Amino acid sequence: MGQSILVVGGGMSGVSAALEAAEAGYDVVLVEKNPYLGGRVAQLHQYFPKLCPPYCGLEINFKRIKSNPRIKLYTMSEVTGIQGEAGNYKVTINQQPRYVNERCTVCGKCGEAVEATIPNPFDYGLGEIKAAYLPHEMAYPYRYVIDPSIVETEDGTKAKEACPYDAVVLDDTAKEVTEEAGAIVWAAGWSPYDISKVEYYNFNSSPDIISNVQMERLAASGGPTGGKIVKLSNGEAPKKVAFIQCAGSRDVNHLPFCSTICCLASLKQATYVREQLKDAEVTIYFIDIRAMDRNEDFYTKVKADEKISFVKSKIGLIEPGENGMLVLEGENTTTGERFKAEHDLVVLATGMQPNTDLSKIPADMVYDEYGFVQAAEGIFGAGTVRRPGEVHVSVQDGTSAALKAIQVVAGR
Amino acid sequence: MATKAYDKSFREEVYQNVDSGEDVKLCMQCGVCGITCPLRGEMTHGPRQLWSLIRAGKREEVMNSPDIMLCTSCYSCKVRCPRGVKVIDVMHGLAHYALEQGIVPRKETAKFGKAFWDSIYKTGRVDETEVPMRYTMMAGPIHGIFNMLEMMDIGRALLAHKRMKFKIGPGLPPSKKIRGMKGLKKMLDKAKSMSPGKEG
Repeated sequence: MGQSILVVGGGMSGVSAALEAAEAGYDVVLVEKNPYLGGRVAQLHQYFPKLCPPYCGLEINFKRIKSNPRIKLYTMSEVTGIQGEAGNYKVTINQQPRYVNERCTVCGKCGEAVEATIPNPFDYGLGEIKAAYLPHEMAYPYRYVIDPSIVETEDGTKAKEACPYDAVVLDDTAKEVTEEAGAIVWAAGWSPYDISKVEYYNFNSSPDIISNVQMERLAASGGPTGGKIVKLSNGEAPKKVAFIQCAGSRDVNHLPFCSTICCLASLKQATYVREQLKDAEVTIYFIDIRAMDRNEDFYTKVKADEKISFVKSKIGLIEPGENGMLVLEGENTTTGERFKAEHDLVVLATGMQPNTDLSKIPADMVYDEYGFVQAAEGIFGAGTVRRPGEVHVSVQDGTSAALKAIQVVAGR
Repeated sequence: MATKAYDKSFREEVYQNVDSGEDVKLCMQCGVCGITCPLRGEMTHGPRQLWSLIRAGKREEVMNSPDIMLCTSCYSCKVRCPRGVKVIDVMHGLAHYALEQGIVPRKETAKFGKAFWDSIYKTGRVDETEVPMRYTMMAGPIHGIFNMLEMMDIGRALLAHKRMKFKIGPGLPPSKKIRGMKGLKKMLDKAKSMSPGKEG
């Protein structure tokens, strides 16, 4: 078979598209920006509505990738240029140095030797990690990374000397490679909306105001607190937790659309809190609860918990109060009352901004008003660059994009 | 005749006759406007509830709500509204519409408006002493004096900082008129003929 299919993004949609195409007998080039595959799904504690860890599914996919010789993987890489047309693309890939080669056995000696730390990108900056690190415990490829900030320092030398396998390559450099492909699947994913832009939520005023993606890391066993839900200001367990829905979503000044997953994410995270902290009270402030797809049952289940209450109000102000509490102001649109409520942990349910809104595909493409990719000949958007959605939707979308890509390259 | 629980005619009336009235349709009832308002402690309904009352056809409540004349046009709600509703425009539009029908939803605002207007109409200036004096005296001579005594500290500070001139009473001594008073009066008369509220 002649032409290969290039997949950009190694998250849920990209991995699905790559596997479907490869298992159908096509050569695939998979390009991922991070040093590992799995994207934002790998950072989740549990899926809704089954409340199971996402890693069992990811592991199966990684095993399929590992055993499939048709998939060529580039990590720490970005596509910087696309030339040509459907059936005949030349794609420029820029790969950042990892400074660690394939001899690495994840023995961890370099990490022990290094002193410098960096904010952990996997934990959305909540914790620190050594500058020679394994991105996370289940990373694929299972290999260390050395942060460029220490390469030319004493720490870099220490890491090299500590490695018993000669796996640290301090003179590793950025590379530019060109790959040929007949079709491209663009599955670059999403970013949580920068909530500090919603100034009335004063996101940076307290460590006890966190975003929903950070809450996933707080609850995850591999996270900065080892899976304990605590207030980051003092390490104590919260007693009154608030979830604020549509934080920067359905708002013409921010993300004008509904991300479709934040209501379910908050309902799910409410169960994390109730699971761990038997006395904690949870309040979910909402405009409308949108339990999309077949998930209404999950909403009903969470609603049955008497320690989880629902208040129909978009919160209009968060301010630090007394004794480390946070004061939320809103208008209860059911009763008409304007209220102030105190909470000690506030989770902002931020929406999904398509990464194609933040950085465009280096090709002639059409986007909608929010930056989502529209259909094109030869280059197909998949997953959350096409529309916001949950994990299983992204898998379906990856599969569908793989089929479209196969239709372009088949018979060439 | 029994009255209908939801009178559709009023909302149609608002959509058609009130400035930016159709924006009310955009509202998704989130409540951010009411919380953003610096006068939220003084508001009886706040914008969100007013929009809800409009949709429900509650003509009396809306047209008599002091809130539509209490709005100070700070624009915070308009800036933050997630649906881009021109909140201020609708508030003023409603006040305008009420006055057109001879309803004065908030007497104090109307009175202040009259004092403001009178000062400009007489001298071409908004006199910092004259306007508050005329406004307070509208409550009658006795109430007026009590009101003024209450404001004495502020008055003294304003005098000390030369933000206000000393006067014994409204027009004593009279303020100096601007040049071209005739031209200004012509403009004001024209404006008055176009505006519905005689005092607002």
